[in-house]
Amino acid sequence: MDAVEKANAERQKRWIKDQKVGEGTYAVVYRGHEASTGKKIAIKKIKVGQFKDGLDMSAIREVKYLRELHHQNIIALFDVFSSKTNLNLVLEFLDADLELIIKDRSIVFLPADIKSWLAMTLRGLEFCHRNWVLHRDLKPNNLLIASDGQLKIADFGLARDFADPGYKMTCQVITRWYRPPELLFGSRYYSTAVDIWSVGCIFAELMLRIPYLPGESDVDQLRTTFRALGTPTEEDWPGHTKLPHYVAVGQFPKPPLRDLFTAATADALNLLSKCLIYEPRKRISARDALNHPYFFALPNPTNPAKLPKSASQLAPRPLEEVDGNVDPSGSAAAPGTKAAGTAARLKRKASVSEAETRAVARRLDFTLSSSQRSP
Amino acid sequence: MAVDDNRRVPLYEGSTQYRNWRFSPDKLQETRSSLNAAAVAGIRKAFEADSAVPRTRQPGSSANVSFLTPEEENLLVKLYIGKISQLCGLFKFSEEVEATAITYLKRFYLKNTVMDWHPKNVMLTALFLATKTTNHPISLEFYASHIPKTTPSDVLDLEFLVAQSLGFEFSVWHAHRALWGLWLDIQTLPDISITTLSQVQEIALQQIRASRLTDAELIYTPSQIALACLSLASSDLAKQWAESKGSLSVLAIVENIQQLIAGEGTDPEVEAVREVDKRLRLCKNPEKVPGSKAYLAKKAEEEATALARRSKKADDVKKAMEAGDPFGDELGMREGALDDDD
Repeated sequence: MDAVEKANAERQKRWIKDQKVGEGTYAVVYRGHEASTGKKIAIKKIKVGQFKDGLDMSAIREVKYLRELHHQNIIALFDVFSSKTNLNLVLEFLDADLELIIKDRSIVFLPADIKSWLAMTLRGLEFCHRNWVLHRDLKPNNLLIASDGQLKIADFGLARDFADPGYKMTCQVITRWYRPPELLFGSRYYSTAVDIWSVGCIFAELMLRIPYLPGESDVDQLRTTFRALGTPTEEDWPGHTKLPHYVAVGQFPKPPLRDLFTAATADALNLLSKCLIYEPRKRISARDALNHPYFFALPNPTNPAKLPKSASQLAPRPLEEVDGNVDPSGSAAAPGTKAAGTAARLKRKASVSEAETRAVARRLDFTLSSSQRSP
Repeated sequence: MAVDDNRRVPLYEGSTQYRNWRFSPDKLQETRSSLNAAAVAGIRKAFEADSAVPRTRQPGSSANVSFLTPEEENLLVKLYIGKISQLCGLFKFSEEVEATAITYLKRFYLKNTVMDWHPKNVMLTALFLATKTTNHPISLEFYASHIPKTTPSDVLDLEFLVAQSLGFEFSVWHAHRALWGLWLDIQTLPDISITTLSQVQEIALQQIRASRLTDAELIYTPSQIALACLSLASSDLAKQWAESKGSLSVLAIVENIQQLIAGEGTDPEVEAVREVDKRLRLCKNPEKVPGSKAYLAKKAEEEATALARRSKKADDVKKAMEAGDPFGDELGMREGALDDDD
């Protein structure tokens, strides 16, 4: 056996698969452990043989970036090995994701909890951006939660290095509800600001407990966005009407954020509004967001270990949640993805009416302080 | 776990390139020598197993085979670095793709030997993989159809092996990017004649390309190589730049790199390589030659192992059936015994 094959076989022996927790066209996910230490891990087995162009781009991107990025708030890739025609990624084992927690109606979020999740998201993202990596698919479903409460950015299947200025990138990235208007308008030159828009949507969703901008199609996404934040003017966002896919979707006034986010502090709304600035160049950076007064005002962010957990989080997750590589456009652009699952999920979520949004927002209790929660 | 955050590691030092793919010149030589020695020993054995005529099946039947030396192996690899550049010209691939493919080829031969895997094939796979890892994917069919005598499976068959050899570390930091940074810096220096700048840049880039034929990237950082190349194009500019950064000392290392580029940064003589390639035909690993006895023996051995595994699995299922539970034990209790493909 070649030295390289031998090394691969040895790597393989280090990790034991215990239980299949999901299967799809693109990957199978197992729960497992490290043979020598018993440390829990997840193994994502990517079926490569079916792709006529060999290793597929999502797998390559995921491996490429996770091999380089080591940070407390980014999922750890412990090892990679191949078995026959499969690529196996040995990942940190993570119990839950933020979507699961947001949806668990039995949990009450305190403002300090939201601050903690947002801070961890921004720390991980700032690290990506500092390393010249755009994530391009941030959403609650891709923010995984470790058993110690640490939030970890996962699924780098759409990530890339930023291109040089003037070099085109695809605008078919980021799951629609979290996609910024410049991408919806077909901008092919963009930067870190696209991820920040997604963070803004996630921040809003943490406060509302339902998706903030659930558009049903790309055009509807623009309409939903403008209805929530006002139609941008030339002054707000110079030149946006000249973007390749620009369409006028109607004039909407800009309602105060306060109308929807009734219980949020002024600092929180100020940071939210800076994440959702239309002009990408004016949108706040991850670094500046971390230095925003919101994070220095009381209440202090909840210690991750004390963040609320979902009761259902130890149950095996359905594959659409563990499997990476969702094609965010819902089209057949990426081979072997599970667009059908995504479409079903989008439909389910989109059925939530706006009236319900408001009711939920009001129902949130922001008056408790963290000390009142029983340990 | 938060303790590490106190010392912010420079970005480059966090990279797999810094951690796993930098060597001292001695270490590099040692790596190649021991790889070569192990390969020669292994192939000698395979030869003896492969000897068709019984009377030659004796220790010493490979004694008169002239194996390649580490230097000769390297010479052959170097020839194929040049071929990557030619192919990149043909396909109009970017500098990024070309540089990445070249790095992959060099790294591959720090884990493998040309006597097992001919660089002609590895080069094609390394380049195809590089188009994907640098985010410039093209279809395999298009790729293979534009290269003479190449089928898609020629490229794909080695993809896993190449990826494994690279340790699945696909990210590479290149000297030409560092040069770009220097070039931007230089334009902000006082008293610079802008007109000569682009000429300097062009010459420096040529030197960077020459450096790819050497071991420079396995020894030095991209920015050191870039500065050396800038210095080759205009030592005054390099000096001014270093002064402006307040560290003239960085120029000290540049000289070593310049010598390396001057000494090694040219395509090898075709005649010399041809001679090496001719000998390679006689000393390559028979286990990798389809149809040879050693190849068939190895295949048979692999199949026997796979068969044993399959029948063990069938046994397990049968036992489970006999135990009365057709679905077997709780999955979690069996340490992955049911996983069918590893």
